[in-house]
Amino acid sequence: MNPPALRALLADSLVLWGVTGRSDITDQGVRITANDLVLHVVPASPDESPIRWWLIREDRRRPAASMLGLLRSLRYALNATSAEPARAWVSAAP
Amino acid sequence: MGFGSAVIPVSVITGFLGSGKTTLLRSVLRDAAYAGSAVIVNEWGDIGLDHELLETSEENLLGLANGCLCCTTRGDLARTLIDLAARRRSGAVSYHRVLIETSGLADPAPILHTLLVDPAIAEGHRVEALVTVVDALLGAETIERHPEAAQQALLADRLLLSKTDLVPDTGALEARLRALNPGAPIMRAVQGAIAPDMLFNAATKPESLQAWLDAVAEPRARHSAGVETISILREAPLPGVVLPLFLEALAEHAGDKLLRMKGIIHVAEAPEKPAVLHGVRHVLHPIEWLEDWPSEDRRSRLVLIGQGIPQWWPARLLEALEEEARG
Repeated sequence: MNPPALRALLADSLVLWGVTGRSDITDQGVRITANDLVLHVVPASPDESPIRWWLIREDRRRPAASMLGLLRSLRYALNATSAEPARAWVSAAP
Repeated sequence: MGFGSAVIPVSVITGFLGSGKTTLLRSVLRDAAYAGSAVIVNEWGDIGLDHELLETSEENLLGLANGCLCCTTRGDLARTLIDLAARRRSGAVSYHRVLIETSGLADPAPILHTLLVDPAIAEGHRVEALVTVVDALLGAETIERHPEAAQQALLADRLLLSKTDLVPDTGALEARLRALNPGAPIMRAVQGAIAPDMLFNAATKPESLQAWLDAVAEPRARHSAGVETISILREAPLPGVVLPLFLEALAEHAGDKLLRMKGIIHVAEAPEKPAVLHGVRHVLHPIEWLEDWPSEDRRSRLVLIGQGIPQWWPARLLEALEEEARG
């Protein structure tokens, strides 16, 4: 995923979560500045597989094996989770 | 996914106060194929009258009074359906379909939610159609003045104009309804006279899905009150593993903003059998596999109707997941 595409998805995610902030492309990935925090989203190198992404906050690094996991971690780090626990209900077919 | 004979279709008839829901229900119940339906009527007020007007067997008719189905009596609805199913299994009652008439002020979304999320209900029932009755005479004004009426129209699988004998020209109302819900066919009835299969049975057919996707994806399809249609079109087949990941992310991050979602997906591993996606808010149906494509168009098409979802977020997410799946 190229940096502009990653930045665009993360910027849209902030809007979706109602977070006011900014996202910038850096040498390593994308920097998120929001809620008085600075977070870095960095693609993992191929030899770190199955890790695909790192979410870095100060000196802490949190791995994510997919975009799904990365978004979840980022939202949690930004304290932008909804009041109700997020879960997908799968119902009987229509 | 096929449906066994034990799975009971449940349809919801909604519409604003006085729009003609009970008249429609009475007419439907006169049809031989629908006469044996179990009927649940929700009346808002201390004295329920609507159920008195329905000609059906007493044991198959249940009234839920003193509250609106979408809020105070949702638990009652769940319990009623579960009780009915238990009585059906024991042989105490016999029916092959459930029809629910909501109160005129009901928001259908939480009702659908209730029908879909309770495992005890979902196990033996499938939501067949949401039919919204719109008064041809007063409908346009009602939609403007009452958000409940707009929501009822927005979420419908079928829109039924009632009292059309009183209004020579329904063009403006139909245009308003198409703007709200371009995917729902608009039908007309006087005194509820319409073939019930057109309202209920046809709504889950692949052709209906195709028509819904075609109509909603048109550029002119725009909603009001912050409701937007987001369309995703993919030429290349999607890796199958992407679908559950995409649905999970959609429900987790946009579930509270997603009013409705439908899609037909070309899955790389099953090119001859399109996958059909349905969802209401964060409730997602299991992926259904059709035997064949409903048309020559084999592109993946996904349409989301929501409030406050960034226009490109779903497509960007899908692209990211697709890229991950392709390694």
